[in-house]
Amino acid sequence: MFNLENFDIKLDTEYLGREFIYFEEVDSTNNELMKYPELLPNGAVLLAESQTNGKGRTGKTWISNPEQNLTFSILLNEDLDKFSLPLLNLTTALSVGQAIENLFQLDINLKWPNDVLVKNNKIAGILVESKSKSNLIEKVIIGIGINVNQPIFKGNFEIHPTSVLKELKREVSRERLLSEFLNIFEENIETLVYNPKEILQNWKNKCKMLDGKIKIINGEIVKVGKFIDVDNEGFLVLRKNDNSLETIAFGDVSIREQD
Amino acid sequence: MDLELIKKLIKVVEKSEITDLSVEEGDLKISISKKSENVNYVSIPQQTAVQVQQPQVNQKNHTEIIEPATSTQTKSSEEVISTHEVKSPIVGTFYRAPSPDADPFVKVGDHVSVGTTLCIVEAMKLMNEIESDVSGTILKILPDNATPVEYNQTLFVIKPD
Repeated sequence: MFNLENFDIKLDTEYLGREFIYFEEVDSTNNELMKYPELLPNGAVLLAESQTNGKGRTGKTWISNPEQNLTFSILLNEDLDKFSLPLLNLTTALSVGQAIENLFQLDINLKWPNDVLVKNNKIAGILVESKSKSNLIEKVIIGIGINVNQPIFKGNFEIHPTSVLKELKREVSRERLLSEFLNIFEENIETLVYNPKEILQNWKNKCKMLDGKIKIINGEIVKVGKFIDVDNEGFLVLRKNDNSLETIAFGDVSIREQD
Repeated sequence: MDLELIKKLIKVVEKSEITDLSVEEGDLKISISKKSENVNYVSIPQQTAVQVQQPQVNQKNHTEIIEPATSTQTKSSEEVISTHEVKSPIVGTFYRAPSPDADPFVKVGDHVSVGTTLCIVEAMKLMNEIESDVSGTILKILPDNATPVEYNQTLFVIKPD
């Protein structure tokens, strides 16, 4: 079971995780936090040991063994106009990667827009959801799943999963990883407000696909070219074979390295 | 005629909730009315091109807002139906349903309340659920499902109750 004391003692944030809600089981931590009946402060974190309906994009599921991993969501409901929301995705992935690297010295590879990989296997997934009244964004919920101490993954996966345990061959403290992530994430959000280019640069430094040849699959449409940059909005810039540039921002996009 | 003044007034109306505005100054009368977000027309009744105002006059002191009900200028024009537009807060892909095989959140003709979920706009795996900020009836759904939308693009037109 998640040990709150071990988590709290290493937490060095002003607002992230200062309100902490723990559940044995929820349908999805994003859903639970989105509909939470009480008014919660900016930075509140909701963690569940198990999710009955953990979700990814467009109906995909996130499966995670209870008590072995981290599945949690963070609420942001202040200062949402001070940074670019698409860049929040990259900032979150960067922070997860940095926390894993700092604590366990694993070589992290970030995949656009928001997957965290170790040796091309997925160690963490992120789903950011927000709620707007008309064109005013009221709250943002960042859902994060990190595979920590799960030894075996069964099933079919788009990208094969891994965990810290699988990489290190030993169990690690989930509590320590969560506090490290929140410490880094809070600092990175501040950097995102004052110097978004630094965040972008740090993200790009950890993206091994950058400068490589990629395939972008959007339903039936497949685009091939070279992944040359991520622009200031966080969108992928593709140089196609005829040398023209295309900015990719939308939709059900999946990226593969070209064979 | 002071075109700058008219431009300023149009901006004031555009940015505010006001649908009708009449301003009188000397023998110049300007009335502006808008349908939803768009300024429809500018009429300058009862006057020919006349010099308007002294420079450096604070226009606010001379601006009078007339309630639509008492504004005589609007009556001669077509009836103004006030509608409300819900716009996209981000650049992304417009989705009418929570997942590909689910029913759409709303259809044309549906009645919605404040807080009813209308759609999702997704950008880079950021799923933004958009709720209605008025209660009323859906008149139009502008983008097709799963197509790109721009920042501030109108998504829904709602006739408020």
